[in-house]
Amino acid sequence: MSDDDMGGSGDEDYYNDYYSDGHDPDVETLDKTLQDPEYFEFQCLTDTEVERFINERVEELSTSIQVTPSLAKVLLLMCQWNLSEIVSSYRADAHRLLIQCQVKPSMPANNNNTSMVSANLVSATNTSNRSTTNTPFPSNVGLMSSTSMEKAGDCVTLCSSSSKSECSSRDVVCGSNAIIQQESDVKECCCPVCLCAMKPSESSQLSCCHRFCNSCWSTYFDVEITQGITTRIECMSSHCEVLAPEDFVVPLLPRTRVREKYHQFAFADYVRSHPELRFCPGPNCTIVVRAKDNKPKRVICEACNTQFCFACGCDYHLPTSCETIRRWLTKCADDSETANYISAHTKDCPKCHICIEKNGGCNHMQCYNCKHEFCWMCLGCWRSHGSEYYECSRYKENPNIAHESVHAQAREALKKYLHYYERWENHSKSLKLECQTLNAIRTRIHAKVMAGTGTWIDWQYLLDAATLLARCRYTLQNTYPFAYFLAPGPRKDLFEYQQAQLEAEIENLSWKIERAEMTDRGDLENQMDIVEKRRTTLLTDFQP
Amino acid sequence: MSNIAAQRIQREFNEVIKSDEAQKFSIKLEMDGSDFRHINGEIAGPPDTPYESGNFKLEIKIPDTYPFNPPKVKFLTKIWHPNVSSVTGAICLDILKDQWAAAMTLRVVLLSLQALLAAAEPDDPQDAVVANQYKENRALFTSTARYWTTVHAGGKQLNPDFDKKIHTLLDLGVEKHQALVALSACDWNLDRALEQIFS
Ligand SMILES: [Zn+2]
Ligand SMILES: [Zn+2]
Ligand SMILES: [Zn+2]
Ligand SMILES: [Zn+2]
Ligand SMILES: [Zn+2]
Ligand SMILES: [Zn+2]
Repeated sequence: MSDDDMGGSGDEDYYNDYYSDGHDPDVETLDKTLQDPEYFEFQCLTDTEVERFINERVEELSTSIQVTPSLAKVLLLMCQWNLSEIVSSYRADAHRLLIQCQVKPSMPANNNNTSMVSANLVSATNTSNRSTTNTPFPSNVGLMSSTSMEKAGDCVTLCSSSSKSECSSRDVVCGSNAIIQQESDVKECCCPVCLCAMKPSESSQLSCCHRFCNSCWSTYFDVEITQGITTRIECMSSHCEVLAPEDFVVPLLPRTRVREKYHQFAFADYVRSHPELRFCPGPNCTIVVRAKDNKPKRVICEACNTQFCFACGCDYHLPTSCETIRRWLTKCADDSETANYISAHTKDCPKCHICIEKNGGCNHMQCYNCKHEFCWMCLGCWRSHGSEYYECSRYKENPNIAHESVHAQAREALKKYLHYYERWENHSKSLKLECQTLNAIRTRIHAKVMAGTGTWIDWQYLLDAATLLARCRYTLQNTYPFAYFLAPGPRKDLFEYQQAQLEAEIENLSWKIERAEMTDRGDLENQMDIVEKRRTTLLTDFQP
Repeated sequence: MSNIAAQRIQREFNEVIKSDEAQKFSIKLEMDGSDFRHINGEIAGPPDTPYESGNFKLEIKIPDTYPFNPPKVKFLTKIWHPNVSSVTGAICLDILKDQWAAAMTLRVVLLSLQALLAAAEPDDPQDAVVANQYKENRALFTSTARYWTTVHAGGKQLNPDFDKKIHTLLDLGVEKHQALVALSACDWNLDRALEQIFS
């Protein structure tokens, strides 16, 4: 076999085209998607790169609407990182957006009393609050007036039962207008959480004006962060949903270890909430995949080689949608005991009844005893499978089932599920067995190369065929959950027709690969072309 | 146990004892020895509800992280209510879960539970059987809940019809609480209750 043969075949161009560099990226992408329904553009980012990516968005928002980076982070997280939408709703109605994003309290201000007390307290607010003052809040002081009356009430009741002297000023303030003038008295109050006296300088509040001592805030943050909560920490007051932003939380964290944990969990929250980012699910892998489209397409991690669905992070599952595969896997887990009995590796030959063990991936079986050719799945004669309508993959529903008894319906439902489950499970096993075949082919090629019969390049097509087989079998396996949940009708008929065609061609390819030494190379490459075209057609016609 | 938790519990005790509700014997807190972590609570059934004139005992466990995490509360007195398990006494109430806030107190918890007795939330049920009866057959739910109050919580209202059905099962050797649970769950249908017990 000459080198010319290798690069020259039309089939190979068909595959190589996807990966060539073009000139016009947009047209190129469109072309690629049309040619290959699985084509997907993505990047694998290291944590430093993701951090830079996130910080760039934060900075962009922070400069365009003039807010602190800390507040920008809250807005981005709450609005799924939709920068342009945030900017436009901020310009349209900043107050409403800030309430929606739990930056400001939803309760309107209604008490002049407390507002004046608060105004007095604000002057002594700690640094973290001062930084929020820089942001163009309509008026921070105005916001402060929304102290919940219930809270003030709680405080009074609790304090009065213990340290009367500490709280007398607060008591009076909460109760009457006349005392407001005595500003010098409003020095201390008790923290509603620990019930200890607190100085304004040693306490802090968010925009909702619920003031607590710094030591309680610290302990509270510590407890929340230990439970993995970081970007969603709410105010400590009853029924108050105002979120504590980063620049409020971090200065109140005394221990470095907790501060590190905060940043680590917050980083994970940012990645998880960003529709363009997805953590690689590979064990101990820190790669984050970035793609512009949040679609259920296949991505492969550059670092650990894990393949997964970009939209849901689970095993890749086209043509089945994320939602359907989730329902399917839940069902399989629930019914695992029912399905156990079918995991047998041996079946009897339908003609001579000798026990046959399946040790290859191909479902086109030939009995070693009587040479009868049959289908492993349905035990039907293989010759009928070769005809234009391959019926094995299709489940024939009982048309009168609605009139049958409840028990009969339950039995029918189980039968239907087992039909699809059996095929799903069987292709998964075939995939594993064909992986062994691939290794065996590698060993055989190695032996041939060592013996001087050709080079690795000469035999590469065999490895290509086995790789293609794995890819097609994987898609075929994932057609079964899709078919199971598909409502009966012309669309299901078309799907099952295409599924049957794909299945038949895959078994042909598998049969040929297992007997590669006897198969003509041209014949094999022709089969590869047919299988991949069937697979591409099915994926194109049934995009989720 | 952290200082702040002990300090809070002590003051909250005082708050409850001095509260108007305590004066009216509507809520009560008692310590189990000197351990702040185990508290017994009690609430009176609200008037004009099937729980009226009953007293319901509660087990309150204070976590070390209190008040930053909520207390763990369950009913010790058996109660027929959509948001309380008729078997374990476990409660489904938002402020005992994610809606808890550090500024809330045991008094707030007791009053909220009392409010829950007055207004159930059948769409967020703890006990599916009870919730279903509440939605499907409110009159039967009310008499069942009232009967449980009389049997378990010291309520005053009698129900000779229910008594008779319970006795039928007792005569067959069924344990008393099991008979009550089965009949309540089967809408007081004797045949269905028997089937449930002996199947
Ligand atoms: Zn405090
Ligand atoms: Zn607040
Ligand atoms: Zn990875
Ligand atoms: Zn997915
Ligand atoms: Zn045979
Ligand atoms: Zn078959």
